[in-house]
Amino acid sequence: MKTPTVLLEQLAPEYLEKEKLDRSEVWNKTFGIEKGEHLQIVAPSGSGKTSLVHILYGLRTDFRGNVVCNGKPLKSFNTNELSDWRKDNISIVFQDLRLFPEHSAAKNIEVKRLLSPFHATSKVTEMAKRLGIAEKLLQSAQTCSYGEQQRIAIIRALQQPFDFLLLDEPFSHLDDKNAEKALDLILEESTLRNAAVILVDLQNVPSFKSHRTLQL
Amino acid sequence: MPNYSTISPFLISNKSKLSRTLGYIGLCLGVVLLLCSVQMYFNVNNFIGEKDIKKSGYDFVSVTKLITDQNMGKDNRFNMDELKVLQSQPFISDAAPLLSNEFRAQISAGNIIPFSTDLFLEAIQDDFIDTVPPSFQWQPGQTHVPVILSADYLEMYNIFAPSQELPQLSESSIGQVNLQLACSGMEGAGNYTANIVGLSNRINTILVPKTFLEWANYNYGGQSSTKAARIYIKTDDVSNPQLVKFLQDNGYHVNKERTRSARIKMILQSFVSGLGIFSIIVILLSMMLFAFYLQLMIARSKDNLKLLQTLGYSPGWLSKMMGRRWIPVYVVIIVIALSLTIILQYFFSILFSYKESISAWIAWPVAVVAVALLFMCIWVNGKLISRELKSL
Repeated sequence: MKTPTVLLEQLAPEYLEKEKLDRSEVWNKTFGIEKGEHLQIVAPSGSGKTSLVHILYGLRTDFRGNVVCNGKPLKSFNTNELSDWRKDNISIVFQDLRLFPEHSAAKNIEVKRLLSPFHATSKVTEMAKRLGIAEKLLQSAQTCSYGEQQRIAIIRALQQPFDFLLLDEPFSHLDDKNAEKALDLILEESTLRNAAVILVDLQNVPSFKSHRTLQL
Repeated sequence: MPNYSTISPFLISNKSKLSRTLGYIGLCLGVVLLLCSVQMYFNVNNFIGEKDIKKSGYDFVSVTKLITDQNMGKDNRFNMDELKVLQSQPFISDAAPLLSNEFRAQISAGNIIPFSTDLFLEAIQDDFIDTVPPSFQWQPGQTHVPVILSADYLEMYNIFAPSQELPQLSESSIGQVNLQLACSGMEGAGNYTANIVGLSNRINTILVPKTFLEWANYNYGGQSSTKAARIYIKTDDVSNPQLVKFLQDNGYHVNKERTRSARIKMILQSFVSGLGIFSIIVILLSMMLFAFYLQLMIARSKDNLKLLQTLGYSPGWLSKMMGRRWIPVYVVIIVIALSLTIILQYFFSILFSYKESISAWIAWPVAVVAVALLFMCIWVNGKLISRELKSL
């Protein structure tokens, strides 16, 4: 058995009702996430999906329990350690995308790529072509459709080295065909890094072929 | 690797150019004023030129009684009570009588410098003398008397020596002249060898050790007088109005030039200090303007900066990059200010070219202050950015 590099220890958001916590396979449980694993977490709205993703990414600290990354509690990371963790170990596609709206798609992707380059710039164009947004690269993000913005956010998340990839409803604005293209790209890139993919969604995504599926 | 140009598009700053430009101008002006006031401090000191006299931090001033038509012919020397009154004044740190000889003293320089003259000798406690060599001591039985001569006397001697066909003497060679000192009085006479062991810039007389003068006054003059025609006072401010009033009220006389130059120096230094304080205020105001500008820029870019941090840009890296952006600006401002100070000092030295002590070049502490200001600006700027980013 491989040693998990991320361990969730009795994790529970402070605001969540006891009933929801008791029903969950994630909250108040202790389990690890291994590199290379495909983990799917499914839950209806209001179960704390985005909270879980933000806790794992170190954006929230209002929870009980611990997230232990490489043997150290995430809560004890200082700002520099947290930045390094986000730069080299964990990547994310936010549900609310979090793009710089006034800047072009290319600029949004490049600012992440330059931080810790895993691919050359040419790879960005190649990915954009695969996802059908090559002609949108020079357009400002706010003028792109939600679907296009979601694909920009996915390409941005794949520009850095990572051991864990967090996906918070990453295909919510994509049609099935585009969602499949995006998932293929994501799985290809995570395999390249032997990274764990944690997909959090409202319902099961069959094409994800997860090793584990947990109800939140 | 990311650098400032990677993040600069995400910093919104273009709408506050006026405050930034005002900040630049204000800072440059403040630095020029501060550097000029530091330079003027040195200029004033050189101009008034009292370094030798006040190197101990005190002024030493000779006090005599004012000779008027009314008191002419009377004994106008200070007695012990008057000395005690002087010593007890809060604005006088110490006072010592300058004892004079109560016997006839004649000095000759043998064959090398063929002259002989009557002269007066005086003595004062050692801590009032600016130059006291270890050899300036005398004990009864000693046939050699060390002498400290006023530097002004040597200067005067060198002026009249050529016309009298006497050799001119340097400060170092005067000590090698062997003198013969003949003392005589009602009670007896004695011959001594003497030489000049030091020159005084402070006391305008011919000084011998106090022990010698007291012994000789008693043994040749037949009296041990406690009266002195002159008293030297030690004060931290010769231009103190209380001191000036006290001396006037008691009919005492001091060297007016000394008090006048000290007063001018004090006024000039007050002006320079005021200018320095004003310039520091201008610099602080400029730095505040910069701080407002930075706060505004960071507030306007708050969302972008927060997202950059979310993506993995550390606050430390961001503040370092943003701080570095300002280094060339500060370097240019300080270099311009320093250059202006150098130019102003050059013109100042031309204006006062008759005064050799005014250098055309700035004093080195001015450059040190400029460099210190540069580091202070960079440090304050870095701290401000870092604090603002942490508060996001």
